[in-house]
Amino acid sequence: MRGTGLLRWVLLPLLAVSAIAPLGLLLMVSVSRDWFAPALLPPTLTAESWLDVVEGGRLGSAFLRSLELAVATGGLAVMAGVTLGRALARQTGWRRHAGAAAAFLPVAVPPIGLGVGLEVSVLWLGLGGSFAGVLLGHLVPAAGYVTLYFMSVFSGYDFRVEEAARTLGATRLELLRRVVLPLLRRPLAEGFLLGFLVSWAQLALTLLIGGGRVRTLPLEVFAYLHAGQDRYAATGALLLTVPPVLTIGLVKLAVGRSEAFPV
Amino acid sequence: MTAALEVEGLTVGFGPTPVLRMISFNVAPGERVVVLGASGAGKTTLLRAVAGLLPVAEGRVRVAGRDVSCEPPERRDAVYLHQAALPFPHLSVFENVAFPLRIRRLGTADIRSTVDDLLRAVRLDGLERRMPHTLSGGQRHRMTLARAMAARPAVLLLDEPLASLDPSLREEVRGTVIELQARHSAAVLMVTHDLEEAAALGHRIGVMLEGTLAQIESPEVLFRRPASLAVARFLGIPNEVKGRVAAGRFESALGCLQTTRADGEAIGVFGVDALRTGADGVEARVVALRYGRARVIATVEVGGLMLSYAPPPDSVPSPGQVVRLSLLAGQVALCSDLSHA
Repeated sequence: MRGTGLLRWVLLPLLAVSAIAPLGLLLMVSVSRDWFAPALLPPTLTAESWLDVVEGGRLGSAFLRSLELAVATGGLAVMAGVTLGRALARQTGWRRHAGAAAAFLPVAVPPIGLGVGLEVSVLWLGLGGSFAGVLLGHLVPAAGYVTLYFMSVFSGYDFRVEEAARTLGATRLELLRRVVLPLLRRPLAEGFLLGFLVSWAQLALTLLIGGGRVRTLPLEVFAYLHAGQDRYAATGALLLTVPPVLTIGLVKLAVGRSEAFPV
Repeated sequence: MTAALEVEGLTVGFGPTPVLRMISFNVAPGERVVVLGASGAGKTTLLRAVAGLLPVAEGRVRVAGRDVSCEPPERRDAVYLHQAALPFPHLSVFENVAFPLRIRRLGTADIRSTVDDLLRAVRLDGLERRMPHTLSGGQRHRMTLARAMAARPAVLLLDEPLASLDPSLREEVRGTVIELQARHSAAVLMVTHDLEEAAALGHRIGVMLEGTLAQIESPEVLFRRPASLAVARFLGIPNEVKGRVAAGRFESALGCLQTTRADGEAIGVFGVDALRTGADGVEARVVALRYGRARVIATVEVGGLMLSYAPPPDSVPSPGQVVRLSLLAGQVALCSDLSHA
């Protein structure tokens, strides 16, 4: 009883404060001008950095570039992940283990190590410093995560349902439209969001492969921070939190709606 | 009349030991053929090959006279039902049964009337809006049967449909299979390892042994005239007696029987009803008695040979007693293939 009380009245509020306080502070910094210690509140407020976002300045265009990259990475990672995860889930023995290990490798390797390797490969392909090169770089770890995710999804999936549909007269296209996609709607959404978030948070790979020419939001935040422009860095950092927060909400909503139809 | 299903020289698997070897048989429209076999004999492989879910190495499959050997599963007009009921979990009972009709782009009114009709037939009317996970095991099976019949297939392929059910549900689903099949005149090819189930459902029973169809006959003929010793043993026919055919007579420790077989060594196989007590028989000592629900089975020893027979209920011998037994001619099958002896 005492343990429950401690959790409810002390630990949970502390957790909430530790999650919200940094965001609140970032919001304050993003609209403050000439705010230095030991002042408790900013002397003057400004919307300068937010206007930069709205008017398509450096932060705004970086936000859009990051969004493009993350959407493309999420989509491509789902395509790769569904195909590979499905194939691996149907394997047994060493093939399954080898496949899972291969998918896990880009997830487990430190981003710097992976980035250097990818940089060489992307340069060799003539894609260094380009959007396509960075997309390729983001895709490697994202596809790894999403493949592992779909491997687990397909391990619990009954492929015989597909056979039943085929002998009932469904062509491959009908099978996809009427059975597979409706059954996998939730995992597909979750897989896309997983790939999206892997790309959204990338800094090292973008820097190494993009060579500073592909300006994503994490890169701009890092640059502003480095230049001591805290207001812009805080605005960028806040923008970075928007998709993950939305994602958590959407996933929770999707889970709530589709719990009745387990795969 | 064209057979609903013709399987000709079907071979599945490659190399020296294919899973199925040269399987050939026909199923007439409205007929139920049950293929009986032990686990690993190739029963499910046979169904999957006929359904187009497995590649075949050799042979032909014709459905209603049409060669479907190279057709994908959706163009074979043969619906395959797995051992477990496999509803589409995201669709309601109504939509599950309507699935094949929607694929065939039938009108809304036609779909409604066909589904209603089928749900009534499988006693699921009133449950149209329910989701499959809320149904009982028996209801799920009946729903998938109704869904299969909605496709109006020429051939229904049933893979041990009753194996996963409780005894009480088995009777229910078995009744539904017979009822639906009779309504739609579909040919049924079913596989099972359960002898009783095969005898209850099959107009003809095929015995599959190690990837080959050893025999296919009506239940009466199959149990009286197994084609080989291996088939007899698989069917659980309890008695075997070695002998010799010479000049149209089979001579064994149990006496002589007329036969049309060629001269040579043979084994007579027979059930418990093929031995009768009589003064002209050979001496046999009763070793043990086994009491069943309907009758008593006595184990007797005749010259070192252990046999089983069903004594008349009013004169059941005691263990140790000597009785005289003779063979009933029409109930003994002679097997000359002694490779399993």
